[in-house]
Amino acid sequence: MKLRNIRALSIGAALSVLTACASTQPAQDQTDFDPIEPVNRVVHHFNQAVDFVILYPAAMAYGELAPEGMKTSVRSFTRNLGEPLNAFNALFQGDPVQAADSMQRFIMNSTMGLLGFYDLAADFGIPYRKEDFGQTLAHYGIGAGPYIVLPLLGPSNLRDTTGIVADYFMDPVTWAAENSDTTNAVRWGAIGMRAIDARYRAADQLAELERTSIDYYAALRSLYRQNRNAMIRNGAPVMAADYDESASFDFDDDIQEVTAAQ
Amino acid sequence: MIQILSPLKPGKLIVAMSILAIAGLGSTSGVLAADRPVTEIAATQGTPSDFIRGLGERAIAELTGNDIDDTTRRQRFVTLMDDHFKMDMVARFVLGRYWRELSDAELADFADLLQDYLALAYANQFRNFNGEQFVVGNATVNNNDTFVASQVLRADGPPINISWRLRDFDGEYRIIDISVEGLSMGITQRDEFASVIQNNGGRVSALTDALKQKIGK
Repeated sequence: MKLRNIRALSIGAALSVLTACASTQPAQDQTDFDPIEPVNRVVHHFNQAVDFVILYPAAMAYGELAPEGMKTSVRSFTRNLGEPLNAFNALFQGDPVQAADSMQRFIMNSTMGLLGFYDLAADFGIPYRKEDFGQTLAHYGIGAGPYIVLPLLGPSNLRDTTGIVADYFMDPVTWAAENSDTTNAVRWGAIGMRAIDARYRAADQLAELERTSIDYYAALRSLYRQNRNAMIRNGAPVMAADYDESASFDFDDDIQEVTAAQ
Repeated sequence: MIQILSPLKPGKLIVAMSILAIAGLGSTSGVLAADRPVTEIAATQGTPSDFIRGLGERAIAELTGNDIDDTTRRQRFVTLMDDHFKMDMVARFVLGRYWRELSDAELADFADLLQDYLALAYANQFRNFNGEQFVVGNATVNNNDTFVASQVLRADGPPINISWRLRDFDGEYRIIDISVEGLSMGITQRDEFASVIQNNGGRVSALTDALKQKIGK
């Protein structure tokens, strides 16, 4: 099967999933569901080893060698390549205003923003917002499913892993890279740089979390879930009664509920 | 919107997107709640916002700088928690369903242990304080609780949004949870502790032993 057919199929399948459950609330997962925890912990340790040997040293070298302005440019450039995908997913979520914002950012930054190395659109008051297909699925009420630690990519779940695959096939950059070795090289270079840049920026917080936590794996699992929930809510504040019954802090009235939610 | 996508031709799609983008030029962009700046509200006595502002002022005055050692910093952190947090409620929350297995005395011990652990985890963060501004915004009431929005403004990065969850205990506000950029400290701790207890045959003592080891008791 040709890549184009797979792409059409996956987008078609994705859209039919969306329309099938378009009436539900956005998913907000309140508990960790980790049926393959032993496997996940092994992959987690593997990832930590790879991080220790390759990614962390690379991120530290990048932190030392690259001037602050260059780091900002790396971040802007890699983010800009993802804007068409952000626009697609905003559209799928029925948010044409956000889709237009992402597209405007892409057009402005790719031209006047010097191929995306400068985030001019942010200066004009159009902030960056990541929208991936995992969030699109969640927008239509699809829950996280089992937690999965992906080799090299790290914390995920069944829904978001599906999202990564769908995003890969519908990303215009994937289409462009099919026909051009240069684009392909730029794309993989950008993916590598994004990983190094993100690792550098998270270095202090991750080190602190690892130092203070009793179960680093479980802490990461909880933080991943909460962070995805926040992205699905598009940053809206979480209100206890609206979203999280398991965090009611009501011990005497709602014991049954708290227990059931565990 | 879906109709535009139906031909599924990349070329057409991009043209459609561009038209959308241009049409959207005049519209106001959907600003995230997280990006909305927290505006300082006028100081009045006794409001939840005042309570958090007072905590911020004391934390910056008492915990920052290099002129105190880390032990003193941790002790002061514990005192600040005593004055502002409802620790027995936080202790019960982070134990999840296991809190029922502890007697009142054991719960009180656990609350003390938790306080020392949190001091170890967070007090040192104030050592590297570098003139960041702490801005306290509005309070929102939801169900039993009051949520106070605040931001830490940094020179070298975007502001950090912190939401404080307060409850009224006989006319006195006390903090029961803190969320940083949507990540709840209480929920994170609860999930992590639950994992430790579950992986040790459901024994809460495994958690308390691990905590004691961590804080060196």
